[in-house]
Amino acid sequence: MAIQGIDFASLSLMDALDLAILIEDEAQERYEEFAAQMEQHRTPDAAKFFRYMVENESKHGRELLARRVQKFGDAPRVVTRAMIFDIEAPDYDAARAFMTPRKAMEAAMACEVKAHNFFVAALPALKDVEVRALFEELRGEELEHQKLVQIELAKLPPDSGLSDEDFVDEPAPQ
Amino acid sequence: MSATGTCEYQAKDYKSDLKPIWCPGCGDFSVVQGIYRALAAIGRAPHEIAFVSGIGCSSRIPGYTTAYGFNTIHGRSLPIAQGIKMANPDLLVLAAGGDGDGFSIGGGHIAHLIRRNMDITYIVMDNQIYGLTKGQLSPTSQKGRVTCTSRYGSMENPVNPLLYVLAYGAGFVAQASPTDLAGMASTIEEAIRYPGFAFVNIQSPCVTYGEEAQQIKGLKAISETLASLGHNPADRLAAMDLAQHYGEKLHLGVFYRNPEPPPTYGDLVKERQDLLSKDALPKERILDLFIKK
Repeated sequence: MAIQGIDFASLSLMDALDLAILIEDEAQERYEEFAAQMEQHRTPDAAKFFRYMVENESKHGRELLARRVQKFGDAPRVVTRAMIFDIEAPDYDAARAFMTPRKAMEAAMACEVKAHNFFVAALPALKDVEVRALFEELRGEELEHQKLVQIELAKLPPDSGLSDEDFVDEPAPQ
Repeated sequence: MSATGTCEYQAKDYKSDLKPIWCPGCGDFSVVQGIYRALAAIGRAPHEIAFVSGIGCSSRIPGYTTAYGFNTIHGRSLPIAQGIKMANPDLLVLAAGGDGDGFSIGGGHIAHLIRRNMDITYIVMDNQIYGLTKGQLSPTSQKGRVTCTSRYGSMENPVNPLLYVLAYGAGFVAQASPTDLAGMASTIEEAIRYPGFAFVNIQSPCVTYGEEAQQIKGLKAISETLASLGHNPADRLAAMDLAQHYGEKLHLGVFYRNPEPPPTYGDLVKERQDLLSKDALPKERILDLFIKK
């Protein structure tokens, strides 16, 4: 998780909303990549879950965008994608061929925790009351998402005990 | 089309319809994303870009872009990229490959592109292993590394790609990693903008045959941006000093950027052509040179 050039103390509500939208966009793109990787490597259950996450992130992004447009219209965006990295998006190596739905959900859970931590860490630096309220709201949402993933995880049958590493070809003399 | 009438490209415009067949989680997924972003920032049309590679997992990368691509033969991306650049100097030429392709079988070519200062950006996806052929020692594998070709551990010291190119006099040397995609994209962009040979070493984990310490978590633990160290990229000796920590620390950013880039080989050739062209025969009379009068 990295941020670059964001001055939280002077963050305006419009910038904060734009930042939140970019965070959702990044996560959505990464889940899309993961879903495609899983489809390519015959791991349909994990692919299905990642597609579900794409929809979720997209929905959150659209909701935030609607609020942004309502309040600020099409005023030019100041924050950019170059300022954030991996705030809510899973790490690139979180995807594995033959990963179980449980492993996929655990990867998503790690992202919800990561995003929650981001908002928690940013809060003390915020000066604007409305921005603070937005970040508190987003922090709360991340906790909500964690609960939802926990519920889904609890519904899953236990893994077979095999790890995705068991499906990987071991280095062998040629 | 922008208000000024120029085309503006987005990262997605450089993404081809081919789906990567890298192992899920492979670091190269982030590298290709970084390249899309860098190309969008540069803003050249895909048909004005030639992307050349050798052989290996990472050498599949040109196919995943909408640029003209040439997946050549093992270790020969650089001479072919050089030929393309000389034949059509207006093209933006990128070359890419793995550490084996670049520093083993193709190792001899790098020196010559550097000394000529060919205006080519060379991106090496360094994973310290031959992944496509199932995990043999590569030139950047650590000493002691156990692989199928070193059952009792490697007895060889690894090549240090950063010192290698710095020692030959490369004008632009940088390192990036999937632990910071935004930083990687801006580093690649900066490399492309450098007028001359630019080298970017990307620590791109092999999720199948790579060691635990070389995965994202391990890389994050040892990564440090050069900017945070207050490194001056115009200082070549300081760059060489920092480059010595390759394999122990992961320094991200620009090690060295020549503050006064020398002319590129293409510039010199153009100059020579201009100088000689006044005495040159018209093309249709070239044969006269060879026909005895």
